[in-house]
Amino acid sequence: MSTDHPTKMVRLAPEGQKRKWDWRAVVVRISFIAVLIILWQLVAMMKIVPSYLFPGPDKVGAVFLEKIQYDLYLLRKTFNADVPFQPPQPSLTISIFKSMGRMGVGYGISVLGGLTLGVLLARSWLLKQTLGTLIMSLQSIPSICWLPFALIWFGIDDKAILAVVILGAMFSMAISTEGAIRNISPIYIKVGKTLGARNLTLAKDILFFAALPELVGGLKVGWTFAWRSLMAAELVRSDSLGVGQLLDSGRQYNDMPLMFVAVFTILAIGVTVDLLLFGTIERAIRRRWGLEK
Amino acid sequence: MEIQFENVSKSFTRKRNDREEHFVALRPTTFTVKSGEFFSIIGPSGCGKSTLLNLLAGLETADEGRVVVDGRPVDHPGADRTVVFQEHGLMPWMTVLRNVEYGLKLKGVPSMERRDRAMKYLRMVHLTRFAGSMPHQLSGGMRQRVAIARALALEPSVLLMDEPFSALDAQTRDLLHDELQRIWAETKTTVVFVTHNIREAAYLSDRILTMTGQPGGIKRIVDVPFPHPRAKSSTELSRFTAELHQEIKEEVDRVAMQELDEDWNPLTSPKRPPRDVIAPGEGI
Repeated sequence: MSTDHPTKMVRLAPEGQKRKWDWRAVVVRISFIAVLIILWQLVAMMKIVPSYLFPGPDKVGAVFLEKIQYDLYLLRKTFNADVPFQPPQPSLTISIFKSMGRMGVGYGISVLGGLTLGVLLARSWLLKQTLGTLIMSLQSIPSICWLPFALIWFGIDDKAILAVVILGAMFSMAISTEGAIRNISPIYIKVGKTLGARNLTLAKDILFFAALPELVGGLKVGWTFAWRSLMAAELVRSDSLGVGQLLDSGRQYNDMPLMFVAVFTILAIGVTVDLLLFGTIERAIRRRWGLEK
Repeated sequence: MEIQFENVSKSFTRKRNDREEHFVALRPTTFTVKSGEFFSIIGPSGCGKSTLLNLLAGLETADEGRVVVDGRPVDHPGADRTVVFQEHGLMPWMTVLRNVEYGLKLKGVPSMERRDRAMKYLRMVHLTRFAGSMPHQLSGGMRQRVAIARALALEPSVLLMDEPFSALDAQTRDLLHDELQRIWAETKTTVVFVTHNIREAAYLSDRILTMTGQPGGIKRIVDVPFPHPRAKSSTELSRFTAELHQEIKEEVDRVAMQELDEDWNPLTSPKRPPRDVIAPGEGI
C-alpha cells in the first residue's frame, strides 16, 4: 500500500470530533421543566379550582404509577396465571402499541404513496396540472373531515382511522417530495450526466441524495400530519384502544388525572419521534452535507 | 481526437419582461480543435460561449449541424468529454475520494484500480491528504482542484472547462492557472476552456476563439504565438492581452448599445485603462 492510502487519511477537525453536549443549555432546560412542575403543584395546592378539575403533579403521577402497575400485572398474567385478579381497565402500554401500530401502517402507506405521487408530479407536467391541482385542493381539507366518510365506507373498523391518517399525511408528503425534487441544484444533474450517469443510475446515485435533506424534512412534516390525524380520529372514534381513546375515556369517567397522563403520553411520543428520531437524522444529514456549521 | 463543429447552430426561447422571445444563442458555426490543443473561447457575456461548450458536452443538442469528437457525432453526454464547471458540483454526501472515483465506478472499473486511479489524480492536484474529507471542509480552490481531478480521472479525450476559476479569488486563481498549465503538459489532454477572462485565455491557450456578442458566432480565431510554459508578467503577453481586450470591448460596447438606454454610448462611458495596464477585475 502506498503511504497515502485513504484509511490513513488526515481528516479535518469538525468531522472527526464528537459533538459535545452543551451542558449549560441542558441544565437550563431541565431546571425550567422542574420550575414548571413546582409551579403546577403550587397552583394545584392553592385549590383555586377543585382538584378533580385541575389535579396537581402528585395526583397525575399517582395515576401514572397505577397505570404502570396495571401493565406490569398484565405482563405477569401473560406468563403466569397465578396472579391476584385486578379489575380490567384501559392499559397505557397497549394503548401506545395500538396507536403506534396504526401509525406504522398508516404512515408507512402515506410515505410510499406520497413519494410515488411526488416523483410523478415532479416528472410530468400533465400530472402536475391535473393530479397536482387536485392534491393541492384536497390538502386544504382538515383530515378529520374524512372520518364520517371513512366510517360509512369502511365501517367501525381500524380501516376508517387508517384512511384518515393516510389522507392527512400522504398529500402533504406528495407536495413536499415534488418540491424536494424540483429544488435539486441543476449542477448535480449536469455533473452526473457528464460523468456518465444516466436514467436510473442518475436517479439513485445523484437525484435521491441531492434531494435527501429536503425529503427528510417533508417526511417529518408528514409524520406530524399523520400523528395529528390519528389523535383526532381516535378521539372521535373512541371505541377501540389507543392513546387518543385513553384521553377520551378519561373524559367519560371524569378522570382528569388520566386525561393528563394521556396528554403527557401524546407529548412524549411527539417529542421522541420529532426531536430525537427525525431531529437526529436531519442533523446527521445536515452535518455530513455541510449545511450546518 | 479532433473536435469539429460543422455548421452548428442553436436557439432558445427565453422569457424577458414576461414575454417569450426566440433568440439565437449560436449562429451556424464551423471550426476545428486540434488534438492535444489548449483551446479557449472568449466573448462578452451572453454570447453563447457556454452554449457552445454544452453542445460539445452533449448537455444540449444542436438545432442544425453537428459536433464531431474523435470521428463520432456527439448526441449525449459521455465520460470521454468531462466538464469542470464554474460551480465545483462536488457531491456533498460523498468524500473527496468517492467524488473522484464516481465516474470510474460508473464505467465499471474494479474498486482497487478505481482507488489507485483516483489517488493518482488527487496526487496530481496535491490533495491526497484530503481524500477522506467531505467537500464542505475544503476551501473553494481545493474544491475546484477536486473537480479537476474528478474530470481527469476518467482520462477523457477532451477536458471541457466552463469558467472554472471565475468564482475564485485572484490569488487562488493564479495558483490554479499554473497548476492547469502543468497538468495539461503532463496529461497532454485536449482542453476546451471557456472564459470571459482575457488574460487567463492568453496565458493558457494555444489558440483563442473570440465570439461576437448576441447573436453569438465566431469573430475570429487567434493564435497565441508564445511557447509554453509562459510567464504571466511578460511584456509581450501583456501587449497581446491588451489588443485582445480592445477587440472584445468592441463587442461588449455593441451589445451594451442594444440593451441600455439611448443616452449610453461607449464614448461617455468611463475611460478604459491604457492598453498595457491590467483592467480592473481582470487580474489573472
